[in-house]
Formats: sequence, C-alpha cells, structure tokens
Amino acid sequence: MGKHLIKRFLMALLTIYIIITLSFLMVRFMPGDPLMHLVGEEEYYYLAEFNPEELERLADKYGCSGTLIEQYQKYMYSILHLDFGIAYSNKQPVLTNILTSMKWTLILSFPTLIFGGIIGCLLGVIAGWRPGGRFDRIATPLFLFVNTVPTNCIGILAMVFFAFKLRLFPLSGMTSGNLHGFAYVRDVLWHAGLPLMILILFRSSGNFMQMKSYVSQVAGEDYVITARAKGLNERKVLFRHVMKNAMLPFVTNLCLQLGNIFSGSMILETIFGWRGMGQLFYAGVSKRDFPTAQACFIVTATCVVLGNLLGDLICSWIDPRIKEDLQ
Amino acid sequence: MKKRLQMNGAMITGTVIVLFFIFVAVFAEQLAPYDPHALGIPYLKPSPEHLLGTNDVGQDIFSELIFGTRVSLFIGVFTAVITTAIATCFGLLAGYYRGIADKIITGLTNVALAIPSLALTTLLVAYLKPGKTSLILAISITAWTGTARVLRAKVIQLCQLPFIKIEKTLGVSDIVIMVKHLIPNLKDIILTRMAMSVSSAMMAEAGLSFLGLGEYGEKSWGGTLHYAFYMNGVIRGYTWWYLPPILCTSLAVMGFMLIGYYGAKRRN
Repeated sequence: MGKHLIKRFLMALLTIYIIITLSFLMVRFMPGDPLMHLVGEEEYYYLAEFNPEELERLADKYGCSGTLIEQYQKYMYSILHLDFGIAYSNKQPVLTNILTSMKWTLILSFPTLIFGGIIGCLLGVIAGWRPGGRFDRIATPLFLFVNTVPTNCIGILAMVFFAFKLRLFPLSGMTSGNLHGFAYVRDVLWHAGLPLMILILFRSSGNFMQMKSYVSQVAGEDYVITARAKGLNERKVLFRHVMKNAMLPFVTNLCLQLGNIFSGSMILETIFGWRGMGQLFYAGVSKRDFPTAQACFIVTATCVVLGNLLGDLICSWIDPRIKEDLQ
Repeated sequence: MKKRLQMNGAMITGTVIVLFFIFVAVFAEQLAPYDPHALGIPYLKPSPEHLLGTNDVGQDIFSELIFGTRVSLFIGVFTAVITTAIATCFGLLAGYYRGIADKIITGLTNVALAIPSLALTTLLVAYLKPGKTSLILAISITAWTGTARVLRAKVIQLCQLPFIKIEKTLGVSDIVIMVKHLIPNLKDIILTRMAMSVSSAMMAEAGLSFLGLGEYGEKSWGGTLHYAFYMNGVIRGYTWWYLPPILCTSLAVMGFMLIGYYGAKRRN
C-alpha cells in the first residue's frame, strides 16, 4: 500500500514538474523575444527605443538573460517560491489576484460539484437500472441534447430569457454594491443564480450519462443475477451489489471534477462577468498579460493533477480488490 | 427489434444532419447570396434581401453563416482526423508491444490528461497567432487521450485471441498484423470515436472563437456569436443575429454526437 502511494505521489510531482517546464518552454520558443511577452508589446518597444538599460534590468529580473539553463534555474526558483511576477493589468502581484479570483470561482464551482454530483448520480441510477424504461427513454435523449449544446450558447440563451425577458436575475456582475452582512450574501447568491443553474445542469447531464452507463454495465454482471437468484429483493440488489460497484468509477470521476474546480467555468464566467479564475485567465490572455495567464495555467493544471491523485487514493482506499492487489 | 430500429433512426438522423452541413460547406459560394466580407448598411432587420439581416458592419448574416459552416466543419473534422490518427498509433504501439513503449505512452497519456485542455488551448492560441492552425494544433494536443486509452485496452484484448497469436507464431511481420488484422477489428471503435471527436472539437472551437481567440475577420459560427454578444446584438434583442449561429453549432454537434453515441451503443 505504502509503495503504491509513494509511486502515485511521485508520478503526480513529475506531472506538475512537466507542466511547469512546459509553460517555461512555451514562452521561450514562441516567435519573438520572450521578454516582449513578459513585459508587454508596447512597453517593450517603448523601452527598447528610449531606455535600453531599463530593458536589460527587466530582462535580468524576469530571468531572460543568460543561457537557457540559467534562465530555467531562475524560473524554477521563483515558481517554487510562489513568485509569479507582477500582473501588468493592475500592477498587483499575480498571486494576490489569483487568490481573490479563486474565492469567487469557488462560489460557482463548489455547489456545482455537490449538486451536479448528487442529481446526476441519482437520475443516472434510475435510468441505468431500467434501461429502455419510461424514465430512460425520456431522460437520455434530453441529457444527450444538453450535452450537445455548447456552454456559451446555453449561457447566452439563458441570459436573454431569464435575465433580459423575465428579469428574474441580473444581467451580469457579482454584487450590486453597498450591501453588508446577510443582504450582501443574498445579493451575491442572486447574481450567481443563473451561471450556477447552467453549470449544475451541464454537470448533472455529464454525470447522468456516466452513472447510467456504469449501472447498466454492472446490472448485467453474473453476481447480480446470483443476488437475485438468492431471493434478495430489488432494493437490496440495487444498493448492496449494483450501487457499490458502480460508485467506484463514479467517485474517480468526481475527483477528476474536483481537480477542474478552478478551470471548469471559464466561458460562463466570461459571459456573466463573474470575476473568477476563468475570467482572470481570459482577461490575461486577451490583454496579453502573460505573467497572469501563465500563473493561471500552472495553478489550474496543478489542481487537476492533485484531483487525479486524490481520485487514485480514494479508489484504492475503498476498493478492496485494489487494496488486496497492493498488499 | 423495435429498439434496434430506433437506434438506427438516431444514426440516420445524425448522418442526414452531417451530410446537410457538408453540402452547405462545399457549395458555400453558390448558396450564399452575398460576399460575407462585403460591407453594407449595419443593423438591418431581416428582409427578403437580407434573410437574417446584417451585423454591426453591415455584413449579411445569412452568408456569414453559410461560409461559417466551412470554417467550423473544417476545424472539427481536421482536428478529429489528427487526434484519431495520433490515438490509433499510440494505442497500437502501446497495446501491441507493451513493455517500455507502453510505459512511455501511458505516462504521456496521464500527463496530457492532467492538463486542463481549455486552459492550455487558450494559452497556446494566445502565444501563437490566433487562427485556424493554432486552434487545430491547440485542440489536438490534449484531445487524443481518451481514444488512445480505449484503443490500447482493446488491442491488449485482441492480442490475447488465438488468430493474432497464430499470426505471431507464424512469423508474420508486426506491421502486417497491425494493418491487416488489428485495424479492421478496431474500425468500429475508431470511427465512432472519431465522430465524437468531431463534435467535441467543434464545441471547443465554438467556445474559443466565441472568446475571440479565432482568426480575426474569419467567418465561423463562434465568431458570429462573438460579435453578436460583444457588439450588443444580444442586449438589443436581435434574435436573428445570435440565434442562428447557436442553432447551427448545436445541430452540427448533435449530428456527429448521434452518430458517435448510438454507433458506440450498437456495437455493444
């Protein structure tokens, strides 16, 4: 067991290392001087013309002088000290911006994870338990349809219908401002309502499809037939034999989704003006604020890796077969 | 029996939708009443001259959509071909040779799986020049993993079967076994996974172009929607501007999804 854990852990570390290296190499091998990406195009040309010494000093600061190996060492050093540089959109440390945005994204992504997981799981079990039944025939095409509509399309449609026509929700933004205490919380939730509903709908439909296929796979196994032949009633067969086995891959999936907690809502955040991680990343990219974009990428990718690791650990903890294999 | 017919029905619907869009894409020049780049009077309402009105710089939205079919389909199909080709190679190599090749490819798959694809794609498109090629490249980098995993598992299964073992003992070369025996047996999976890849690539393209990361001035459905959203078409309630690209994208994605999903189901 211990050996397995260590191996998984090392693998995760290696993956994170590769991701960090990848984002280093991406800047260095892009066309143009990497410094141009790091300080911004206008600033770069301005400095190159009027203040070459300042440019050299900056090159030194951002670790763009010296050989590639030296640059790489400097880069790794600053990343390990969580120094992602200064965002040139608001001149704040990138890390501060990211931590603020994370908080806002969590308001959207955490409920999505919980409610999307529960709704998708429950409906998936019902549909998978009786494939071809009345519920399955209605729900499956419906959720398949939801899966085919791109997020931005549903976002815009929901915005037009609920916020613009019915005026049930605000058009965009996070708060109305000037509110404190309970009123503030209620206001934020009201603003989060629409993107949250869409995210939960999408997540439920994805989870529904997965749970349904797991349950219908397990339902055909020999041990389920044995359980029925033993005379167990349907409820016991479902909860004791089918659910237990179908939950395993589902839990792995939930952990994967946990890893995506900061990167899953980018497009909806942009549409609804929700200043979370996705919006920060998008703004970083579209305003050519490369330190921010790079840091966002590293943070979100690291979260995904940790999510995968957690999924592995939980699975080997709850599945006696894997546990036995390891001992 | 009835169920089987139903599934075939879904696949036929998917095929009809896909063929329709391919037809539109191929004959875009003949079908479009205007040049989608020609400027005219902005914000016209739908009329017999301009079926879906005009956008903020007076380009005919209907023609924009028709030419957009080309770009969206091209990106979707091209990406799917690339990713499926990579996945097939990797799946075959890993599943057939096992050993070191398997370890390296599985490791690579795990790393690629851990990278949030939308994030990497956004970052890459930002570093590279936004455009068709960078979109295709960026989507392809992470999209091959699922298919590669499925194929690897299937190849391992197939290699246990007597006919492959016999071929191996007879000394038939590896390439012949792979091309003549393994690939025909994997054909169904490859094709259905490819249809699924087209739909997910089109979704990714729709999202990225919507964010304005597509090529500047290029007509794609996501691009049309981008301008409809950012040039206040949505706020002003110009249904004819933002609704058609949404419908087109959803319909095309659904077409490929129907083929892929029900095709995969029929196989079981």
